[in-house]
Amino acid sequence: MRIIVHKAKCQGHARCSAQAPDVFKLDDEGYILPGDIEVAEGEQLLASRGARSCPERALELDPTPAARVVPDAIEPRVWRA
Amino acid sequence: MTINAVPDHVPPEMVRDFSLFTSPGMAPTPNGDPHAAVACVHAGPPIFYSPYNTRDGRGTWVITRAADQRRVLQDAETFSSHRSIFSSALGENWPMIPLELDPPAHGVFRSLLNPLLSPKRLVVLEPKVRERAITLILRIAASGTSCDVMKDFAFPFTVSIFLRLLGLPDHRLDTFVGWAKDLLHGDNVKRPAAARTIVAFIDELATKRRKEPVDDFMTFIVQAQVEGRRLTEEEVRGIGVLVFIAGLDTVAAAIGFGLAYLARNIKDQDLLRREPDRIVLAAEELLRAYPSVQIIRVATKDIDFEGAPIRKGDYVSCAAMIANRDPAEFECPNTVDLAREDNRHAAFGFGPHRCLGSHLARREIVIGLEEWLARIPAFRIQNATAPITSGGHLFGIENLILDWS
Ligand code: HEM
Ligand code: SF4
Repeated sequence: MRIIVHKAKCQGHARCSAQAPDVFKLDDEGYILPGDIEVAEGEQLLASRGARSCPERALELDPTPAARVVPDAIEPRVWRA
Repeated sequence: MTINAVPDHVPPEMVRDFSLFTSPGMAPTPNGDPHAAVACVHAGPPIFYSPYNTRDGRGTWVITRAADQRRVLQDAETFSSHRSIFSSALGENWPMIPLELDPPAHGVFRSLLNPLLSPKRLVVLEPKVRERAITLILRIAASGTSCDVMKDFAFPFTVSIFLRLLGLPDHRLDTFVGWAKDLLHGDNVKRPAAARTIVAFIDELATKRRKEPVDDFMTFIVQAQVEGRRLTEEEVRGIGVLVFIAGLDTVAAAIGFGLAYLARNIKDQDLLRREPDRIVLAAEELLRAYPSVQIIRVATKDIDFEGAPIRKGDYVSCAAMIANRDPAEFECPNTVDLAREDNRHAAFGFGPHRCLGSHLARREIVIGLEEWLARIPAFRIQNATAPITSGGHLFGIENLILDWS
């Protein structure tokens, strides 16, 4: 699962990181770091909850990342912007 | 007072006899529920015109749906915050910062201030917040089995945290509580007088910190640089005054409405006392059900919005209490469900002006409830007393006499 981060929409509510601090990293002002997020296996539930908690709708769930990459060839963090 | 005539461009069928100031339940009411009273607008259209919907009697468009409010508040280019409300009451013209600035100037100051109240910074501030809550509640517990939560806890708590932020000692607490009361609830004589006092106080503090810097908020502001220059006196004042007024009544009201709900709903009260881990989520639901702020914007151009002809200069109201009761956004919006998930409420607004103090406010509310429930046994509203609630620009609760005898 991947989370598409619409950085320009983020207004620093920090609700995402309140739900899943390990998934959603904030900068020093409290706004989300740029770049889409590849969610690790065990964190999917918390991550989707975090994405759903964004009041600005800045976080979009993309459940089908497999279609975009060659499976098992690329480490997830490589595709972070 | 301006005359509340409906402008010619507003179609008569879009005018409704509704306002946060004049509708039933908005005047000070014993045992009132102003939030439930405004929820009725969801039976009507998504936007309508209210002829009397500001303190000085101006009309506004009223946006009822949460999704539409989000759209308005995210679009600062069309819906401006540029108003100088506070200073115009004094016959002056300077903005509260960042509240009454639009992007891009807004962002410059907002970036400057964000780190001071960021989630990271809160980790440092939190122990002091808890210590203040505990001190106040221990004193209340030691002095009897009833108290007025607003006077004895909510206001002293929020004001003393503000004083800490400014690096001021607590012994002036009562003076500040008095100013805040006069400013927010005083009559037409007391309000401007209090406003002047607060401005003079902020100016004086800024001068002091320029001369003798210490490690506090105001020193940071007077030493800060934006766009390669120091802040002007007017900018320093605009920030200081806003931080003074933004975090007092709002947090106090949230604590007051929250404890009033728990006093009337013993099962929920017991559950939170037994399982305090639930308080963080519960506090979000209490903020959803009982938010305090009506946000107003000014249209910068003509725009047709959901069939309404909004014209340049029109006021547009985005009331959190209305968005938070939108059935399209919240299942059973009029039911308080302390375990509600995915609670994307509007209490702190949306868009670039999202409450700068929201992280602090959330911690104050959660810590206030945690320490209260841990130290005060089962409480209810004292017999023969009635909390007085009111609507208006800022929904509030004047008194809350709790009894745990
Ligand atoms: C439960 C308590 C609070 C509520 C419900 C609340 C609500 C709000 C709302 C709705 C806005 C947006 C206004 C607009 O868009 O025009 C706002 C802005 C603001 N709030 Fe709060 N607030 C609370 C507590 C605080 C505290 C504790 C502080 C300060 C320490 C604070 C400081 C501010 C500031 C500086 C702004 C202006 C932000 C900007 O314009 O960028 N607030 N607040
Ligand atoms: S919840 Fe949304 S607005 Fe808030 S920090 Fe996360 S992404 Fe940004």
